[in-house]
Amino acid sequence: MRFRGWIPLVLLGALILAVSGYTAVRQDAFLTQYNINNLLLATMPLALVAIGQTSAMLVGGFDVSVAALITMCVVTASFTLKPDESTLSLFIGSLAILGVGLATGIFNASLIRLLRLPSIIATLGTLSILTGASLLLRDHPEGTINSDVIDALTTTRFGFIPLAFIGVVLLVVLADLWLYRTRTGISVRAVGLDETSSRRLGMSTGLIVFGAFVVCSVMASVAGFYSAAQVQIGSPIVGGYALTSIAAAVLGGASLAGGRGSFVGTLLAALFLSLIENVLPLFQQPTEYAQMTIGLLILLALVIYQAPELVARLRSGWRGVGRLQTGEGEASAG
Amino acid sequence: MSTPGPESPVVLSLRGVSKAFGAVQALRDVEIECRAGEIHALVGENGSGKSTLLGIASGFLAPDAGDVEIGGRRRKRGSPAEARRLGLGIAYQTYSHLLDLSVAENVYLAVPAAERPAYRRMQAWAAATLAEFGLGVPVNVAVGSLSLAQRQLLEVVKSLLAKPKVLLLDEPTTALGPQEVEQLMALVLERSRAEVGIVYVSHRLPEVLGIADRISVLRDGVKQGTFDAAGMTEDALVAHMIGRPLQLAFPDRGAEGRVPEVLLEVAGLRGDRFGPVDLKVERGEIVGLAGAEGNGQVQFLRALAGVERPTGVASCDGGELNTKSPLAALRAGVVLLSGDRIAESLFPVLSVRTNTTIQVLRSLGRVGFLRRRRERRTVDEMGRRLQIRMASIEQPVQSLSGGNQQKVSLTRPFLRGNVKVILADEPTQGVDVAARFDIYEALRAKANDGVALLVKSSDPLELAGLCDRVVVMSRGTIVDEISGDELGERRIVEAIVGSRALKAGAGA
Repeated sequence: MRFRGWIPLVLLGALILAVSGYTAVRQDAFLTQYNINNLLLATMPLALVAIGQTSAMLVGGFDVSVAALITMCVVTASFTLKPDESTLSLFIGSLAILGVGLATGIFNASLIRLLRLPSIIATLGTLSILTGASLLLRDHPEGTINSDVIDALTTTRFGFIPLAFIGVVLLVVLADLWLYRTRTGISVRAVGLDETSSRRLGMSTGLIVFGAFVVCSVMASVAGFYSAAQVQIGSPIVGGYALTSIAAAVLGGASLAGGRGSFVGTLLAALFLSLIENVLPLFQQPTEYAQMTIGLLILLALVIYQAPELVARLRSGWRGVGRLQTGEGEASAG
Repeated sequence: MSTPGPESPVVLSLRGVSKAFGAVQALRDVEIECRAGEIHALVGENGSGKSTLLGIASGFLAPDAGDVEIGGRRRKRGSPAEARRLGLGIAYQTYSHLLDLSVAENVYLAVPAAERPAYRRMQAWAAATLAEFGLGVPVNVAVGSLSLAQRQLLEVVKSLLAKPKVLLLDEPTTALGPQEVEQLMALVLERSRAEVGIVYVSHRLPEVLGIADRISVLRDGVKQGTFDAAGMTEDALVAHMIGRPLQLAFPDRGAEGRVPEVLLEVAGLRGDRFGPVDLKVERGEIVGLAGAEGNGQVQFLRALAGVERPTGVASCDGGELNTKSPLAALRAGVVLLSGDRIAESLFPVLSVRTNTTIQVLRSLGRVGFLRRRRERRTVDEMGRRLQIRMASIEQPVQSLSGGNQQKVSLTRPFLRGNVKVILADEPTQGVDVAARFDIYEALRAKANDGVALLVKSSDPLELAGLCDRVVVMSRGTIVDEISGDELGERRIVEAIVGSRALKAGAGA
């Protein structure tokens, strides 16, 4: 059991090292401060939104509205973070963006917990609403975003590593410690694994699921800042993060059924996905290959994560309908 | 046994409790009272409202009407968390385990927040806690890898951890062998002596009569009365449960004129946790599979059905039996009645009609289209024959009682043409008294049709009454065989206990 949780982390770590090592040997342009800094910055939006997605997936849900929410945040930024504004109004403007995330989160969580809609349907609705709203506010890319804010987000660094990335690393480590080493963390996983049992044990399952979806949206709005820093203009077509964030969470070890996952794994996965996109152009390969490579690697990784079960299945023969875990005496074997 | 006087404080009281699910009135104006130090048994057939009552007491379900008081304090809003705070502990029939989490983590989650140790001390603390209750399971493995018996004992231990004033035990012994039942009883009696009020729900009447101070009987959601256990008999209890006196009867064996002909033959069969097993079952014979839980009976049965992959030789009706897949076994005429009906044999949300005919659709169709009228006639006829109690054949099987669900899965070997062997895993688990007889009768009817039956059961009385012959398994092999005049409940229990003694003597 314990061992299983480590597979994604070890595998992703090894893959990142292997790809980086290979590239570093062949391409001088890869291992430069400039490129590493760029790579890490490019990872930021995906990392942040995938961390949020992991939170939703831990309680057994999905949030496909994150992509539209990020777009909405970028569009909002083009109104609230205009050039030549005072520091105070920029601060309020930033709060407004987080407020969009918070409101979306509460909206989603209410649909899912109070009205009991399946999360994928509920957030699909939100996705559509937010996409429409973004287009209503900006029907074409327009409205420059304050360059001081962009600089603050992207050029603050420790050595050549963006400070923000160090922050995210700290965040995921702390989040994993919380998830696996504290009562509330275990409770969150418990709710994802089996809500009925969790409720029987006296947990506030409703509150936990509600919170997880709010966290997801708020993280997406933080990702919105970094998206805004990348596009630098109020573009209504940023998008694209919904499936990638789910892919990153799954690559990082999150289970679609809930209860399993790791924030560190998610960050490693996000970094890995960005790395592929960063590396292929260095080899003069078209980015279409990046898409296909990522797809193949996701499938491969998932097969490897299942390895313990696959091996067990091969060993014990046909278990096609052997769903009943009679499991007698297994404890003595362990 | 402690007999608490009327002066002992009432620790759980339900007054005027009613609850309906849709059109079904599950409980009607029920009153139950449990005093400190008392073991108050709650009996009734499946569907009589016991689980609903426990659900309401524990805060999992909200009553439509009525009050719940725990430890003398009226419950305000129904939630399991609140009930726990007020001092209520409950061991659920279907458990409250998180199968993917470790035993230690499960124990950790079961105690009140204030008593939880720091995370790094959790393992040692959990091991010490379990040792206190004499439960020897490793704490670092996932609960999902424990045996059913271990899970059940763990569930009871978890319910005790918060030191409840009132303890609800819902069928706490279904997965336990005789020795584990004793272990559990010791725990329960210890609590009651420590002035904990215990509400004990069980199908096993001898168990109830042996342990309870008072017994309340529910029938169709209405309380039939509360009785002192001292003056109660099994027959009288059954009469209250079903509303008419009913003999705990078994169908006649009627094996007189049978020509011995071996139908199922197993030689040196080995597999996961069992083997080598040699066994012959004759046409028209019902052979019981006894043994303490976890000695390979289930695996052996499932191996024959092709669900596990055994090595060794098995033959059926003269030809070699292919145990490589369930489909191959089915084609050879071997049918498994799984012990986990809902997960493995039935489609819970589909109707009785669909569940009944799903394996024989070909015979009910014409050029690929189902002939509805013919299907309906078939299902109606099976319903009558097996006495399935249902509102209509379109009712989803998940809304039937356990006994009627089992009857629906029993229709399949009746409808299939070439059934030669039926393997039944706990055919009456979770089945009420009245429906049991129907199931025994159906199994015997198949035997009389010339089918060989192998029945695994943890109830020695059932095996003694139903079977022509009983084999006892221990550590995966057959260690004893009982037949003829010898065949009785007592003899079976002795064999199980004896084989356990043997096992301990072998120094495992």
